Amino acid sequence: MFLKDYITDVYKAVRSLLTGMKKTGYYFVHPSEIITQQYPENRHDLNLPERFRGEVVMSHDENNEHACTGCTACELACPNGTIKIITKFDITPEGKKKKAIDTFIYHLELCTMCNLCVQACPTDAIKMSQKFEHSVYDRSRLTKKLNQPGSKIREGVE
Amino acid sequence: MFSLAHITQIIHDWLYSSFDPTLALIIECAIVILVAIGIFAVLGLVLVLMERKVAAHIQIRLGPNRVGPGGMFQTVADTLKLIMKEGLTPDLADKFLFNLAPFLVMIVAMLLLAPIAFAKGVQIWDINIGVLYISAVSSLSVIGILMAGWASNNKYSLLGAMRSGAQIVSYELSAGFSILTIVVLTGSLRLSDIIASQENGWWIFKGHIPVIIAFILFIIAATAETNRAPFDLAEAESELTAGFHTEYSGMRFALFFLAEYINIFIVCAIGATLFLGGWMPLHIGGWEGFNHLMDYIPSSFWFIGKTFFLIFLIMWFRWTFPRLRVDQLLNLEWKYLLPISLINLLLVTVIAIMGWYF
Amino acid sequence: MNAHAIIFYLISAFLLGTGILSVTTKKIFRSAIWLLFSLVGIASLYFWMEVEFVAAVQIIVYVGGIVILIIFSIFLTQQSGKEMPGPGLLRTVFSLLAVLFGAGFCCMLINEYGFTQLPGNQFSVAVADIGTQMLSTAEHGFVLPFEVVSMLLLGAMIGCIVIAMKSKEAKNKGVLENEQEAVGTVISSQQNNTL
Repeated sequence: MFLKDYITDVYKAVRSLLTGMKKTGYYFVHPSEIITQQYPENRHDLNLPERFRGEVVMSHDENNEHACTGCTACELACPNGTIKIITKFDITPEGKKKKAIDTFIYHLELCTMCNLCVQACPTDAIKMSQKFEHSVYDRSRLTKKLNQPGSKIREGVE
Repeated sequence: MFSLAHITQIIHDWLYSSFDPTLALIIECAIVILVAIGIFAVLGLVLVLMERKVAAHIQIRLGPNRVGPGGMFQTVADTLKLIMKEGLTPDLADKFLFNLAPFLVMIVAMLLLAPIAFAKGVQIWDINIGVLYISAVSSLSVIGILMAGWASNNKYSLLGAMRSGAQIVSYELSAGFSILTIVVLTGSLRLSDIIASQENGWWIFKGHIPVIIAFILFIIAATAETNRAPFDLAEAESELTAGFHTEYSGMRFALFFLAEYINIFIVCAIGATLFLGGWMPLHIGGWEGFNHLMDYIPSSFWFIGKTFFLIFLIMWFRWTFPRLRVDQLLNLEWKYLLPISLINLLLVTVIAIMGWYF
Repeated sequence: MNAHAIIFYLISAFLLGTGILSVTTKKIFRSAIWLLFSLVGIASLYFWMEVEFVAAVQIIVYVGGIVILIIFSIFLTQQSGKEMPGPGLLRTVFSLLAVLFGAGFCCMLINEYGFTQLPGNQFSVAVADIGTQMLSTAEHGFVLPFEVVSMLLLGAMIGCIVIAMKSKEAKNKGVLENEQEAVGTVISSQQNNTL
């Protein structure tokens, strides 16, 4: 009984080792599996995975309109105070006051790319872009204003 | 036909015809020393690069690729960097032993190079107890490790040295037993006799399953004796920073690093000599035409090919298997490898007495 | 004096020097290392005499085995890194006397018998011959001492196992304690979780 267990142990051990070696050996003889990217050379045809997150951007359409209502859900969702929204009150044609954004301030240097703000946004106004070359010479240039100058909220977005 | 033995014979004859015998002997010694150091340097550079490339390809990476074409000169650049770095000595270290240890490890590696047959007729010292000499001298390398660990005055170094000592002392047993199987089959300890006995086929083919088991045991024990993963708990990075060479820097660290790779080469060369026929080309008893064809490949190529195959195997292990715990390591040796190798030795003895090998 | 003799004197000087250092140094680990070098020196003397088998056995047994055990026991000793106090006056005197006695005894033996050159090279013994002699039952065969030594080793091994083995009682107790500890840790981790 003991001998049987002993031999089974040895057999199982050898088999599991061979399984591992088969996998690594497969990778060794298949250079096409290599996922390393030669970055500065292939800068123009980069192949970034879909889930890669570079920075938060606000999408604007051709009329320079965005979908941000200034609800500050993203600001509340952000775990480390990356987003700061300054709101203002627009006067609608009917003469009513309506809340809108004045400036969407985004501190790239604080951002951890956790994606919580994008998930919190009720109107899909912000999204993650894949730009990653963020190095600048001055820290203050990392503080960005996401809504373009003169942009306004798209019609029909509440 | 290309033959290293021919070249050495020409040099030998020329030296003895132009100088008096004592001077010629001294010059020959100097040449051998220079060649050995050259082999060391080249092996160090090639093996480190090979390790990094193999590791990269197994982990779906490219590895070093910036210095030179395909990263070929990466290790040369690393060596230059290590030469220029400052060699620090810790304040409360035992300075004499601290400085001595890397050289001791290196000297042991050099001593081990002596009986290895690199090609037909190219062997520094064909000592009549070759295999015993190797197992005796290789047990010295643990002294250098223990010395380094103690003299560093560092808890990590000491723990690493202790682990390494326990490991090498216990795995020497099963390495010795697996070497003994070949000695039993050959009936000689001299390396050239062992190689000559494989003229009609390598032992791994001639000796059936027991020799294959012995070969596997030898490879496992060799991996453990050279302190490589999965048995690298002497320098387990996540537990002991770097083990016995934590405090070493600059060229002294490079010597440890180089000695590690030279030891791998030597262990693999011994494995290739004992089980795969050393420089002996692939011969199959009875197939005269095939044997003759194989003889056209120079013997040095055979030796280097076999040795590098084994080195690749050991690298493959390193980048596949996770590290063992100390208790698992000792369990493996004393509960599995040692009993198996004892029974295996008995089997081989029966085979050798009955003449059941080819 | 030829090169052969020069090498002999070099090895001897190394051997004696390291031997003296190993008994005079005050650091115990260094003492072990000097002892090691001294033993390696003896092995190289055997190599010089071209009795390779004895040299290799010397390295395996003394250097690879005994000195490593000594080093291990030094590692496991407390305060072994400290510098030892020097020997007292009495001890110095007696050790010097012992050295003088030994040296005098050797001198006397050499004076009485001298060195005689034996005809031929006595040492060219093949390893196979050593093995045959070891297991030979004929005259000058070593099979009886060989077997007696193996019995001694077997006794030592069994003794080791007996010392290392836990008695059944202690084993059970140990298991129980471990279980209790395990239960304790589980409980405490659960408490942590609820907290």
